[in-house]
Formats: sequence, structure tokens, C-alpha cells
Amino acid sequence: MARLGFDERELQSRRAIFELHDEDLQRLTAIRAIAERHMAEVVDGFYALLLGHPGTRRFLTDDAQVARLKRTQSAYFLQLFDGRCDLPYVENRIRVGAVHERIGLAPKWYIAAYRRYLALLLERVVLDIPDRAEALAAYQSLKKIVAFDMSIAIDTYIAANLESLGRHQAAIRELSTPVIRVHERLLLLPLVGAIDSQRAQQVMEMVLVRVIEEKARAIIIDIAGVPVVDTKVADHLLKTTAAVKLIGAQTILTGISAQVARTIVQLGVDISSMHTLARLSEGIELGLELVGKRIAPKEPS
Amino acid sequence: MGSLAFESQTLSSETMAIDREEDIVHVRKRARMLAQARGFDAFACAALTTAASELARNVWVHGGGGQATLEELSDGNRFGIRMVFRDQGPGIADLERALQGGYSTARSLGLGLSGTRRLVEDFAIDTRPGEGTRVTITKWTRF
Repeated sequence: MARLGFDERELQSRRAIFELHDEDLQRLTAIRAIAERHMAEVVDGFYALLLGHPGTRRFLTDDAQVARLKRTQSAYFLQLFDGRCDLPYVENRIRVGAVHERIGLAPKWYIAAYRRYLALLLERVVLDIPDRAEALAAYQSLKKIVAFDMSIAIDTYIAANLESLGRHQAAIRELSTPVIRVHERLLLLPLVGAIDSQRAQQVMEMVLVRVIEEKARAIIIDIAGVPVVDTKVADHLLKTTAAVKLIGAQTILTGISAQVARTIVQLGVDISSMHTLARLSEGIELGLELVGKRIAPKEPS
Repeated sequence: MGSLAFESQTLSSETMAIDREEDIVHVRKRARMLAQARGFDAFACAALTTAASELARNVWVHGGGGQATLEELSDGNRFGIRMVFRDQGPGIADLERALQGGYSTARSLGLGLSGTRRLVEDFAIDTRPGEGTRVTITKWTRF
């Protein structure tokens, strides 16, 4: 519920959009007896559509399940003629939408199913209303509530997708600043991809936390995987260097391509506060030197 | 008549919106794609992509959003990429200082405009206080 931001105000505004007035609900209540008489035909006809297409049939595994779903469907059918369109009703619709999203039923099936549903309601229920004007009015009301329901279902799909997108982004964010311990007191941060303001801030914080945790003397930042080094990226790197220096460590920048080197110079950025090297391997050598170690060839035995 | 130089001709033109931070990445990716497709060398590609990044960011940060128009040009001998960045922001009050470099209203390096100017062949800026800013840059393939 909270996820869709559905409250009394949204309910009223949406009912207004679909022109779903109290008279519509009353009109539907008035034909409830006729609707009940044809309920089985509508529900059976609806499932005939679902069973007739591979796209929806794969969700219907056995007869017992179909029978159960038909009972749920009958309950929904009757709700349309309950004369209620309040928050509990909406909550119910959201739950139904969420179930269909979870099992992976594409929205096109949802909409196609609703189309068939309306056709069945017209054939079986509406045409059974003796007064023609009344039948037309009832059909209009039915279309309103069905469209209203559909809008909620689609919103549920979108909300679920946004939620999963948000989860992925959080996961990527977590993976995007892997500060690795190369050796005692020497850290490495390989940066890959674009550096936006949010990520830059996260890089700075992660670097500082890890430098303190590891009592690091030096951190290598490798930018071989950063597509563009503009003044903003340079600014972030310089600020990170300054902050790292405050806690007693040095920054070594590696992975600078010939093109990036030339662009940085043309931009007029002064990065002399950092150690800079073309290759990561050279950065590791320098880093080890800064922590008092070096790579030596194996003694011949 | 008698001159070998052709008038430069616009081969394509597309306009992209810069409303969100991600749009900066979209614009510079497009710039890089066009430059690579037109045979710019790796240094020129890097320069053009970086220039696109700087100016698109200016539109987003200082102009409160706007548009970028990317055009492919030809003068008969070389291909060129022209990019126009427009915003309806507050404009640049002290243009001379902004173009000198090292001056920033956003507590950053303040090298965006002055640096970008050195990355391209043609650089033109039109800014009006309260009305907005338009920066046009062009870079050509080498002969």
C-alpha cells in the first residue's frame, strides 16, 4: 500500500480521473442479481481464454489450481457489483496485481484478459438487462471500474519494477567501490565506470573508512576503467587525496592512458598533489616502497 | 569560384535533453560515438568526449538543465562535430573571469570553461544574465 502511495486522497483523485462516481457503483449494485445469474459463464469464458494461449496456460498447471482460481475469480466478479470502491477494495486490487507481477505475467496478458472480461460482461450480463438505456449506463459504469482496476494493476507492476531496479542499484553501488588490501598498510581501489556525484562521495567515504581501518600508509586509485576524466572527476580525486592526506596516507593514481594524460593537461588541472603512474604494477611497486617493502627476485637455490 | 574550400555542410543534427545527472553520460557517450564513427583519432575522441562532459555538466549544475544539440559537419575535406549547449539559467555574471580559469561559483576547480576551450578548435559563448547561456564548440578531424 505505502509503496504505491495509495491513500484516501489518491483514491478520490483516481476515481475522479476515471469518472467513477457513486452513481456508477449504485448502478452496478442494481444489476448484481443479473450478474450473479451469469457468473459461472463469465468466469468459465474467461478461463477458456487463459487456457487457450500458451503465454497464460503455462501458469495454469492442473485442474485443482484452475478450480481454485475460478473461485477467486468469482469473488472478484461479485466485488464489481458490491457498490464499494474504497481503500480496502484498492488494497485487494494491489494484492492481485502484485501476485501477477510476481509470477511473471506480462501486462499485455493482464490487459488482454480484461478486454475479454469486458466482452463477456457485455454479452452475458449487460445484454440481459431488459431496459436498453439502463443496460448502456451499466456498461459504461462497468468499463469505468474495470479501467480503474487495470490502472492499479499496471501501477503495481511499475512499482515492483522500480523496487527491483532500486535493489540492483544499491547492489551495484556496493560493488562499485571495492577497496582491496594489497599488502599490509597498502590499499587499492580500482575504479570502473562513470563517476557521478553520488558515487564520488561514496568513493571518498569508503576510502577514508578503509584507510583508517587498515592503518594504511598508501592507497592506489586505478582509473583505467573510467571512461572520461573531466574537471569534475579530477576535482573528486584531488579532494579524496587531500582528505586521505589528513589522515596520514598518500594517494597513488594509476591507469592513466595517453589520451587522459593529454586531456588533463589541456584542461589545466594540476594533479601534482598525487603520485601518478601509467601502470597499476608501477603503482604497486611505489606503494610497497612507501610502506617499506619491495618486490625482490627469488634467491637462486 | 576558384576556391577549393567548400562551405561546411551539416550532415546530421540531434538534440538531447539534459534534465538529470545521467543525461551528462548520455550526451558524452553520443559525442564519443559520433566522433569514433567519423574517424577522429583517440586523442581527439577523448578531447571531444571530455568537452561534452564539461559543458553538459555546466548545463545541469549551473543552468538547471537544458539541451545539447550534436551535429555532424563536413567541409568537403574533413568531418567535424559541432555541439551546442543551451540552458535558461542565471547566465555567467563575470564571463572574463570564468574563461580565465580557476574561478568557481560551485566550490570546484573552476576549470570547466577555460579547459574546454583548449580541447576544441572553435569555442563560442553567449551568456545573458537572467536569460541563460549558450556554448557552441566544434572540432574537426585532422587532414
